[in-house]
Amino acid sequence: MGDEAQRLQDPGFRRLLARRSRWRWTLSGLLIGAYLVYAVAGIYYADAYAAPFLGSAVPWGMAIGYLIIALTIALSLVYVRVVNRIESSEREDERP
Amino acid sequence: MIGAGTNLTAIIVFIAFVSVSLAITWWAAKRTHSAGEFYTAGGKITGFQNGLALAGDFMSAATFLGLTGLAFIGGSDAMLFTVAITVSWAFILFAFADRMRNLGRFTFADVVAYRLQPERLRMLAAVGTLTVAIPYLIAQMVGAGSLIETLFGIPYLGAVVIVGTLMTTYVVFGGMLATTWVQVTKAILLLGGGTALLLMALAQFGFNVDVLFERAAEVHPRGERIFRPGGLYNDPISVLSLALAFICGTAGLPHVLMRFFTVPDAVQARRSIGYAVVFIGYFQGAIVIVGFAAIGLLSGETEYVDESGRIAGGANMVAVYLSRLLGGEVFFGLIAAVAFATILAVVAGILLSASAAVAHDFYTRVVRRGDISDQAEVRVSRWATVAIGATAIGLSALFQDVNVAVLSTIALAVAASVNFPAIFLALFWKGLTTRGAVAGGVTGLIVVVVLIVLGPTVWVDVFGNATAIFPYAYPTLFSVAAAFFVTVGVSMLDRSAQAGADRSAYPAQLVRSEIGQ
Repeated sequence: MGDEAQRLQDPGFRRLLARRSRWRWTLSGLLIGAYLVYAVAGIYYADAYAAPFLGSAVPWGMAIGYLIIALTIALSLVYVRVVNRIESSEREDERP
Repeated sequence: MIGAGTNLTAIIVFIAFVSVSLAITWWAAKRTHSAGEFYTAGGKITGFQNGLALAGDFMSAATFLGLTGLAFIGGSDAMLFTVAITVSWAFILFAFADRMRNLGRFTFADVVAYRLQPERLRMLAAVGTLTVAIPYLIAQMVGAGSLIETLFGIPYLGAVVIVGTLMTTYVVFGGMLATTWVQVTKAILLLGGGTALLLMALAQFGFNVDVLFERAAEVHPRGERIFRPGGLYNDPISVLSLALAFICGTAGLPHVLMRFFTVPDAVQARRSIGYAVVFIGYFQGAIVIVGFAAIGLLSGETEYVDESGRIAGGANMVAVYLSRLLGGEVFFGLIAAVAFATILAVVAGILLSASAAVAHDFYTRVVRRGDISDQAEVRVSRWATVAIGATAIGLSALFQDVNVAVLSTIALAVAASVNFPAIFLALFWKGLTTRGAVAGGVTGLIVVVVLIVLGPTVWVDVFGNATAIFPYAYPTLFSVAAAFFVTVGVSMLDRSAQAGADRSAYPAQLVRSEIGQ
């Protein structure tokens, strides 16, 4: 127990925790928020969602849906890269 | 009617898949001795392999065939599901991947029981696992039985017995290692088959999506209205409930959560879910396009679709019919066999999670309190697998006419309302106590069951009443909220000695969950 209590106060650990939490909740909030807005707005702006997207025949609603999917994939890959790098850099810091 | 009893390609591809999967099982059986090997393949799966397997776990025949059919009928409403599913996997990556991997060994119960009173939490997790796994297993097997009956001409009962026997064989002999590689093989087949279907469909429109969408609006009985959302759900509560069912439900599926433990560390755990997001996002997106292409291509083909837009054999057949139209009997056989392989791999994963709940969480940890040898635990797991597999075959044979949608809704809603709140609060809230977690889990379970019975899927569709007492198909907005509310409330009021121990163990768990051993 003492070990962990000490670890919890360790500035290196606090920094790791803070950086990871920031990434975790910012990205979760962004994507879930985007989805909820997209899904609920579809009820009230059904006509706008059905209108063609920028001169194509693809409806707006579908186009936005695909953009959110693309964004989700891109942000997931960024997250894996960045957070795994945080992990390896912190590991390095800990080595004497 | 589409009788494929003589489709040689389907039979050859399917026999090839079964042979490969049995060879994998034989190979895996020689490497599966300890409990760790049985439940988690010794933690030696790589991130990429596990990413494919995770994607395979989720891309069931229901998503492949069901979503194509949904786009065919409901048009752009299918996007509501597609985007929710992709986002839900990203959420699992951000919130759960590393902490789950660092705290657990075999099942998600390891994580919720980490600092709480272990026996009570394991009981809750085992109930949570089985109430997800059994309905899900039966939904898949009943769906498989009807599909195989239509596609291969094998009678329903025979089809259920074949699926059940194969899945049990994979798990009993090859454990997680066989289950993973069967899942990887199937994921590659499904991604390949889906891509081939997408490209062949796009080729019909000169690879111009504008033409594809214009044509869909021209021929669909609902015309341009298929681009308007809201045909399926047109009030915010339904939409939010659906969103919660997918976002929290996917993160509470025991066979998905179990996959975190098959990789060596948190770095690989993140990587594997990252790959899963890519595969799932791509596949879901592709399938919706296939559904829209099917509107343009299948309409007017009276062999498949009648004039009012009704599909012979149900909406699930859209992808299969499209494959026949585009690629003849050979491609049709290929897609049919891939659909069958998909079902087999998915049920094997679910069966393994159910047997881990019975053998590891309930028997080893609760009944024997951990006082059991590794060899004996593996033996119990194998018998549990046989018992659950046989039960699933029996129930599927008995309930051929069960409403598959009800079972799938129950499975996802229980995962969202029982498993998800317990895991989420165990990981991120230091105030969680044993009493709070158990009270919240029981509340979630009761609310889900009551609201589904009173809702449209059971009260109207099954019992035949005119209107539902509870108007929403998914109860998740209410059941998840109730579970969180009760868990947090009871935990805060909990003054027991156990509660003090629960709270004071959080710092140690936090450190371990972030940096591992």
